[in-house]
Amino acid sequence: MGTAASTRSRRQWPLTALVVLVYIFLVAPSLIVIIISFGDTDEYMFPPRRLSFYIYQLYFNDVQWLNATRQSFIVAGLTMVLSMAVALPAAYATARFTFFMRAGLNYLLILPAVVPNVVIAVGLYFYLGQLGLNGTTTGLVLGHTLIAAPFSFIMILAGLRQVDPNLEAAARIMGASELRVLTRVTIPLLLPSIVGGALIAFLMSFDEFIIAFFISSSATETLPVRMFAAIRWEISPIIAAVSSLLTLVSLVAVMLVTLGASRKRAAPSSEG
Amino acid sequence: MIFALPMVLMLVLLFAAPMAIVIYMSVHVSKLSGSYYTLEFYRQAITDSLYLSVYWNTVAISVLSVAVGLLLSYPVAYHLSRQTVRVRALLSALVLLPFYTSILVKSYAFTVILGDDGVINQMIGLVFGESTRVSLLFNRTGVIIAIVHFVIPLMVFPILASLVAQPPALRTAAEVMGASNARIFWRITFPLSLPGVATGAIMSLIMSLGIFITPALLGGRRDMMIANLINYYLRETLDWQIAAALSIVLLAIGMIFVVMLMRLRGAQLFTNAS
Repeated sequence: MGTAASTRSRRQWPLTALVVLVYIFLVAPSLIVIIISFGDTDEYMFPPRRLSFYIYQLYFNDVQWLNATRQSFIVAGLTMVLSMAVALPAAYATARFTFFMRAGLNYLLILPAVVPNVVIAVGLYFYLGQLGLNGTTTGLVLGHTLIAAPFSFIMILAGLRQVDPNLEAAARIMGASELRVLTRVTIPLLLPSIVGGALIAFLMSFDEFIIAFFISSSATETLPVRMFAAIRWEISPIIAAVSSLLTLVSLVAVMLVTLGASRKRAAPSSEG
Repeated sequence: MIFALPMVLMLVLLFAAPMAIVIYMSVHVSKLSGSYYTLEFYRQAITDSLYLSVYWNTVAISVLSVAVGLLLSYPVAYHLSRQTVRVRALLSALVLLPFYTSILVKSYAFTVILGDDGVINQMIGLVFGESTRVSLLFNRTGVIIAIVHFVIPLMVFPILASLVAQPPALRTAAEVMGASNARIFWRITFPLSLPGVATGAIMSLIMSLGIFITPALLGGRRDMMIANLINYYLRETLDWQIAAALSIVLLAIGMIFVVMLMRLRGAQLFTNAS
């Protein structure tokens, strides 16, 4: 038995080596950016000669970068609220009620998720332009809600399918009103999916580039738009600091997802 | 159903209406001398040799990146599927990190890594002497490396899902009957994982066909993809009709793959992706 296992692991070392290389390839860009961000010169250096917070100081003293950062948080926050406001009831409707064309509606609601974002951005550019919303925060939030809401919808719908409708039925039999069933049974059980749906809407808006690139103005530019301009036209070291801060945001998201996954596995129902 | 109404309304106002305008723009001309409908822009969009070469770039770069990405994703997914649940969750974080990292951060990192004075060339210089340089940035190699990096997480998770879903008893049965590891893999594990492979590959293709940032920041002039061309006509030359027609062409190419994906997955288009 022991020899069989060791033959197997000996045979598998090329696979393991390849996999390790792919992991390095996947993580290296983030790591290198973080290391560069602690350099102490305006030219990027890898590895930096001396570690410092110089580049972070530049970032926190640059009004244009700070404005873009604040704008991204505002747009992503509003997008999150609006996405949840439309996706939550829609997911509830398609999960709990049967009606004419329900399957068709499911497809329809996630349609924007499979259309290339650049095509949506062209449409919004024409459309919001005619409404006089190009260059406004309102226009950005509307555009981002369109692409974020389908993902919130998918996550909440998946969660609702896990919540046993019998629990809701039991509450009803015991005399709870519809509102009470919703607030005391369905929503508490659904909470992880609601949080997940809100998080994905926030992150999608926060990372979104092409729509913001087309419809924001210099006064309403978001962080990705600012970054694109900086990478393309300037040789600003600030990009490294911003990238590291964004990597930190992604790390938090990864931790939340990993934690959520291990929580789910701890529950007896979901595996198998 | 009344609860779905707000979202349906949003789709009509923010999706259907803008798309209708794009279609209208692509077939309608209004000049001082009068306005009329025409398919001229589509004729241009599918015959002009400049556009055809950009479509070819787009498809070639996407297909090559997805193929390379697949060759790297499958071993990772396979390796993950053989780990205990705890180890798998930990190692998955290494794949999730790039998945949740902004493509702008990654593009910036690749300009630093792949540049003539970048990390890779510094290492090459150390090994082969100072003057040795490999050109990796502002050409197709750079674009493909970055898109491969972008699509690997999109493929690992669907493949992993289809590997984990296989009943372990199948493997045991084959082992008991004396099948070698290689035979078990090629006759059982791999064929059963093909739906996951196809889902991941098609999703990655859809995503990379419309990509804008990577060719704009890491490519050269000859690596323009459809999204860059659309941006050029929409924002720089203000040829809105041709920009609209090109958008519809890109949409049509994308939809071919979406239909394939729907055939494959049924209604749960994305449920395994996140």
